[in-house]
Amino acid sequence: MTESGLPTSEHLEHLDTDTIADLIENLLPANEAHRAREHVKACPECQQTYDALVRLSEDLADEGRADIPMPTDVAEHLDAVIVSESVLRASTVGVHSLAQIREEPRRHLPKLLGAAAGVVLIAAIGVGVVIATKDQANEGAASTDQNSPPADAVTLTTDDIGSQVKQWLEHTPNPIVHGSADEQACARSFASTQPNPNVRLVQPAKIDGKRATIIGLQGGAAGDIQVFAVTGCNEPGGVASSFYDTTVTLRSR
Amino acid sequence: MTAHLDPGNQPPSPDVPRIGADEPVVAHAGAPVSYDQLDDHELLRLHVAGNPDSFGFLVKRHRDRMWAVAIRTLGEPEEAADALQEAFISAFRRADSFRGDAKVTTWLHRIVVNACLDRIRRRQVRAADPLPEDEDRAAELAGPMQEDPAEVRERRLDVLNALKQINEDQRAALVLVDMEGYSIEEAAAILDCAPGTVKSRCARGRAKLLPLLRHWQTSRESDVPEKSAAEAVGTE
Repeated sequence: MTESGLPTSEHLEHLDTDTIADLIENLLPANEAHRAREHVKACPECQQTYDALVRLSEDLADEGRADIPMPTDVAEHLDAVIVSESVLRASTVGVHSLAQIREEPRRHLPKLLGAAAGVVLIAAIGVGVVIATKDQANEGAASTDQNSPPADAVTLTTDDIGSQVKQWLEHTPNPIVHGSADEQACARSFASTQPNPNVRLVQPAKIDGKRATIIGLQGGAAGDIQVFAVTGCNEPGGVASSFYDTTVTLRSR
Repeated sequence: MTAHLDPGNQPPSPDVPRIGADEPVVAHAGAPVSYDQLDDHELLRLHVAGNPDSFGFLVKRHRDRMWAVAIRTLGEPEEAADALQEAFISAFRRADSFRGDAKVTTWLHRIVVNACLDRIRRRQVRAADPLPEDEDRAAELAGPMQEDPAEVRERRLDVLNALKQINEDQRAALVLVDMEGYSIEEAAAILDCAPGTVKSRCARGRAKLLPLLRHWQTSRESDVPEKSAAEAVGTE
């Protein structure tokens, strides 16, 4: 039998299936290809193999178009894996529903309570870090001139966010952090998901009539500030979702 | 800076996910929109922005496709499930590396294929222990019984069993080119080899598959009832 395409002692002259498959893919050197093509034309058996190989590709394509339903147990397992990734991301970077993290306090508490001084101290340092990471250590107190934003929500439109942030930050080398402790914590959680988590600005705002928080992060270049307008931070335990972002470049001081 | 942060590429996006809400909806220009109505790009962007649920929706949308790729490339349901787990975790974590100009499915597909190929390579390293044959388990996992007609399942199993018997490199090339419809060039990029290598693996793979699947064609031509998967695999 030569059905398998392999040459046998009586059919040494037949092409093997590999050669015919190579011929179809134009892989044979020109002279060999010519000889093989002539042979296939003259030999019904090899022609049959040739046709069968072409049809095999078509059949595989037909079969390939069909999805294969994922078995339920695999799907459930993978869903669980993704959920745990989500929780892991939340516990490492602070995004995710905070309520969900509170639901499994045991997993997080030992680490946090390792030093007896505890949570209050950590929270205090948390705020300190944001302000202290800026190494422009020339002056201490935040500027209070009229170019500073108010401590409560400032009203503006989406289009004005960039220019307004530029104005505020050009008037002080220090981070501007306003809003409730919750709002600031929410902004920092958001910042930690970004490539440059260094917070320069947290400002409660009413943007186009909607309560929002403006977050400014140190950009890649020294004068660049990545500006995000997010919702969700004004509720306790809320999570930031960005609805606008832009980059402003501060004039060098 | 990543593309999604660049306001030049993208207008300010109006959708604001309400994370932590019970319903899987996000506010879209004021109106609630379910995740189903968001396209792949939007779901991925929400995921990168910190939304905890959108990635799960994205994966759910494409999982049958990705399962098909993984099971065909790896041949074993357990291996395919492990590869998808690695792939989805990798995609979850690397989502910010996604370039917005590509299709999300292409990106995801490539991650899945690479996870499968990684497993194949690792398996080749410890090639001494061949995978256990467990036809019943394979049949059970090739798809929920009730969803497909018997002949569809049988044909699917034929292909899976036949693919399993050929060299893994050839199988991966054939799955990409013949079954998934990738061009030779695309497959070469995914497999990280020359286009000529892909062509040659496809040609040799087809030559090996032909005797294993020839009964498909004979049955189609002469209307002879198809052999069972077990008989088909036994032909050699």
